[in-house]
Amino acid sequence: MQPQARKVPLSSGELGYYVAGEGRPLVYLHPAGGVRWTRVLDELAKSFKLFVPIMPGFDGTPAHASVKSMKGLAGLAGEFIEKIAGGTCDVIGCSFGGYLATWLAAERPQLVDHLVLECPAGFRPKGKGERPADPEALKKLLFLHPEKLPPETKPAEQEAGNRGMLAHYGYPADTDEELLARIPAIDKLTLILHGTADRMIPKESVQLLKSRLPHAYLVYIWDAAHSIEVDQPERMLAVLTSFLERSEGFMVNWGTLAVNPG
Amino acid sequence: MKFSFFHLMPYTHLDPESHEWPFPNRYFDAAKASALYRTYVESMIHAESCGFDWVGCNEHHFSPYGMMANPNLIGGALAYPTKRVKIAIVGNLVPLNNPIRVAEEYAMLDCMTGGRLVAGLMRGIPHEYLAYNIPPGESWERQREAVQLILKAWTEPEPFGWEGKHFQYRQVSIWPKPMQKPHPPLVISASNADSAKFAAEMRATMGMVLLADLPSGKECIRAYREAARSHGWEPTADNILVGMHTCIAETDAEARRQLANGLKYFDEVLMGGLQASQRIVLQKTRYFENEESRDRWKSRLDKRKTLTLDEQIERGTVLCGSPETVVAQIRRIHAELGHGVFNFTVKVGTLPDDVIRRGMELFRDRVLPQVRDL
Repeated sequence: MQPQARKVPLSSGELGYYVAGEGRPLVYLHPAGGVRWTRVLDELAKSFKLFVPIMPGFDGTPAHASVKSMKGLAGLAGEFIEKIAGGTCDVIGCSFGGYLATWLAAERPQLVDHLVLECPAGFRPKGKGERPADPEALKKLLFLHPEKLPPETKPAEQEAGNRGMLAHYGYPADTDEELLARIPAIDKLTLILHGTADRMIPKESVQLLKSRLPHAYLVYIWDAAHSIEVDQPERMLAVLTSFLERSEGFMVNWGTLAVNPG
Repeated sequence: MKFSFFHLMPYTHLDPESHEWPFPNRYFDAAKASALYRTYVESMIHAESCGFDWVGCNEHHFSPYGMMANPNLIGGALAYPTKRVKIAIVGNLVPLNNPIRVAEEYAMLDCMTGGRLVAGLMRGIPHEYLAYNIPPGESWERQREAVQLILKAWTEPEPFGWEGKHFQYRQVSIWPKPMQKPHPPLVISASNADSAKFAAEMRATMGMVLLADLPSGKECIRAYREAARSHGWEPTADNILVGMHTCIAETDAEARRQLANGLKYFDEVLMGGLQASQRIVLQKTRYFENEESRDRWKSRLDKRKTLTLDEQIERGTVLCGSPETVVAQIRRIHAELGHGVFNFTVKVGTLPDDVIRRGMELFRDRVLPQVRDL
């Protein structure tokens, strides 16, 4: 499904975004590498109206002069949801986007229904998690199965530029203590996804989140590194779509194990 | 050196004729089995007072080869009559079972024994896949995924879900959790280089329960050590378990006579149907990842039948003789392999239980004092 690229003027400046599909609105907040239109997004767009805003400074877009923090970025994401997604909706955030989604749920809880945190950044215990030394090391940390990468790739300079925006928004080296302190007040039903081979965001990060969020489920996706969407799209979709469609009922096995039903 | 008293719990009342697989269970006599279970369990309990460090058993299906469809039940029977000895279940066949059930039952045993469980996570010999209708070609994948899931079930501080290829659980939170932290010590079978590497990756003790020959054992140990280093750890001698058929008697001649009789039943009756089924699995499936491993296993099956007892003793693949002879055999094998755990398979076919009992006492009085410090 081909996403359409659009722009919307917001209070701090213009914001680019992609939209695809029809149905209940669903907002996806992209990782530090920028927007990568994966098979997971393609499949989500078959059931939802999927909005993917491009955060200012990413993917060649200009930064907004007044937005210089994660809290400020969460305010901008909230404004986008109000203006474009039509108000309260389910929100997915991947890595950096998961960190942003958590800030959004803390700052503008009325705009978030179900929350999905895909290998969320921002909560690494000190000394845990690997930091890539160079682009090749980064690729190894991101993908256990790089052969599954979609064919389109961003120019290396744009990838580097995207990651350069992390410092602009005050991305923490370890844990964002201010946000961590606010997590117990986030009462959204939350699904946390983590790849069993993710060495960038350590399991201690998601365990910490799981222990602090009052209504969260943690699901490990086997044989996936940091980029679950690329490594194991089918497994991720099985859990994710069930959660978005059935809420707590995603815990129930709704299928049949009968191989030869009569 | 640590010593493990390992019991296969065979059914010993069959006629000495070859049977196809599966063994027809019309030959099974529950009253005889009941007496065997009692004898075997009492023997395992007695092993503690004979100085053994572990008592062990394992899982087999559809065969008189071993009457432990669920060895955890035997672990439960051993938990309270013993006080010191480790209960080594070597082990549950994780690709065939529900991994969460394995994690739960092992955690129970660890709590019941006060933290004395040694947890074997085995792939199983080929014919077990026929019994439980699991594709043998999936054995490696299922083993790898199941072991990781079991470790998660034991160690995760919060409820979690698992979305894998072969196993899916939306929420897992086992009660009880193991007493040993972070989890009971693992044993993973390592009878070829591939499995040795996997054992090293999982930081498990490598188990070679029936050694084919000393050079292949050395090669597996080399592969294991090398893989462990690549995963950032250095195994100790205690991480290497070597096992073999064992018979200790007053004299060499008596030990050889008894073991030869037991081996005849073992090879001709207990292994008969298994070998037929294993050949089918090996020829028709991808149970082994490569031809080399497959050929090695087939050759091992063939050699078992063709080698005489004397040849097996000479090759260092059985322990058999007077206490003094067995001490020398243990020293020789240890010098070759450098292992820290020696696993004695004591009930070889129809080897009489009173002979085994006497052998245990000889081990306690005349073998152990000579080899404990190896």
